[in-house]
Amino acid sequence: MEDHGKQLIQHIADMQEEEAAKLAREMLDSGYDPVKLLGHCREAMEIVGKRYEQGEYFLPELMLAGEMLKAIGDMAKPLIPQDASDGQAAGTVVIGTVQGDLHDIGKNIVVFMLEINGFKVVDLGIDVPIAKFVDSIKEHKPQVVGLSGFLTLAFDAMKKTVEAIREAGLRDHIKVMIGGGQVDDTVKIYTGADAFGLNAMDAVSLCKHWVPT
Amino acid sequence: MAIPGVSIIGDRINPGFKATKALVESEDLAGLQALAVRQVQAGAWCLDVTVGPRGYQDAHFLTEVIQALQSTVNVPLCFDYPSAAVQEVCLKAYCPAKAGGRKPVVNSLAETRQEMFELLKIRPFQVILMASERLEDGSPKSNKLTSEVLGVARRMTGKLTQEYGFSRGDIFVDVTIHSLVSDLDGLTKMALEAIRSIREDSELNGVHIIGGLTNIGNMLPSLKFDDVPLRQLVESAFLTLAVPLGFDTIMGTPWNNFRILPDDNIVLQAVKEFTELKGLNAIRRLRQLWAQAKSSVNQ
Repeated sequence: MEDHGKQLIQHIADMQEEEAAKLAREMLDSGYDPVKLLGHCREAMEIVGKRYEQGEYFLPELMLAGEMLKAIGDMAKPLIPQDASDGQAAGTVVIGTVQGDLHDIGKNIVVFMLEINGFKVVDLGIDVPIAKFVDSIKEHKPQVVGLSGFLTLAFDAMKKTVEAIREAGLRDHIKVMIGGGQVDDTVKIYTGADAFGLNAMDAVSLCKHWVPT
Repeated sequence: MAIPGVSIIGDRINPGFKATKALVESEDLAGLQALAVRQVQAGAWCLDVTVGPRGYQDAHFLTEVIQALQSTVNVPLCFDYPSAAVQEVCLKAYCPAKAGGRKPVVNSLAETRQEMFELLKIRPFQVILMASERLEDGSPKSNKLTSEVLGVARRMTGKLTQEYGFSRGDIFVDVTIHSLVSDLDGLTKMALEAIRSIREDSELNGVHIIGGLTNIGNMLPSLKFDDVPLRQLVESAFLTLAVPLGFDTIMGTPWNNFRILPDDNIVLQAVKEFTELKGLNAIRRLRQLWAQAKSSVNQ
């Protein structure tokens, strides 16, 4: 059965979608441990992430890998006993496109990637009022808040959102990451965020770094 | 190689390009001037200008850049800021006489930021009209339907011509071209349909239709087909589909060899099929190109 595990990792890492889904189905049907199977998926995703960093893979491969993990996750999760799946989330992330900005493609990919990496994601959508971020942080108590924006005007909204979080006394309990458009170190400092990310994998790395599993 | 009936606004003076970012950060005015000259030589009739976020705080630097560019090239400039305050700095710095008397271009006006009409007090300008957002019951909404894009184009063109004295030829409707690799929602197809419906609308007769072409190739692999970068071929594939529908102004990199591709070009075929697909199926079709590029290398 170990060979099956390796083969599954390879199918996912090599973007063989149909083969991966078929093999996962067969493994689960013949009694393979679903928790162990999801472990293989994570391992495969790390390979995909490395290939992405090395310029061998691009955004489409990340999306397809995400889709494979989601499909296999949907097969495996119902087979995991309830008590074992409690507290499975690696951490909670509240995310949204800041007020005045309507762009959401990048943010949606980040949400997708965080979820398949085991984070509970509260997605507030686009053009999110500052107060909504603050309320959501009070309600969900996340470890990380993600502020997304494509327009350069979004930098001001990010700054105001971070200030409002501070004024609400919540800033010390969370890490803030920003992404989208032309973010860089200058923008990070301007907005008062803790870090910026240039792509969805950056967001996953930041969250994993801040919320050790 | 030019496409008949299609003009180019050069988009390189934008720190979104790494090389330009370095020029802006080191305040290398001579470097920016050289970049301007190169774009004009490659066929741009107008140059888009932004120095990035710094433009919001540093009116002096922005003015200096505009003056430096105008002392080198005699084409109009197109100011790329969604802020009336920054546009005011740009319009005041602009000297029409140095562009053969031609008006600058404001990039961009939107239904969601009509305060920019006030800028006409400074000087007349041409305008890029962003059609990807609309105002609905007083709040901004992202357009996902061709009819919504057409609605914005009609309302705003009506306003610009009837209330503010613009001629339709002074209006460039921006249909917003998205990055192909992240287009899960059929937005590329919507842009093509929007071009067709704007061009077929008699109320919009005479407006230009523009799109930021560089965006379409963002995040694509750096593959080549017969020594031509995939990004360039994807740009030309879009033009091959869009120009017959009425697209007439490229916001892009002037030396990217824009051309109409032959029917049997494999990148054109992939982009065509991509626009008929949605979600991950569209992405899967795009990925087939990677393999095709590799096999064309091996041949």
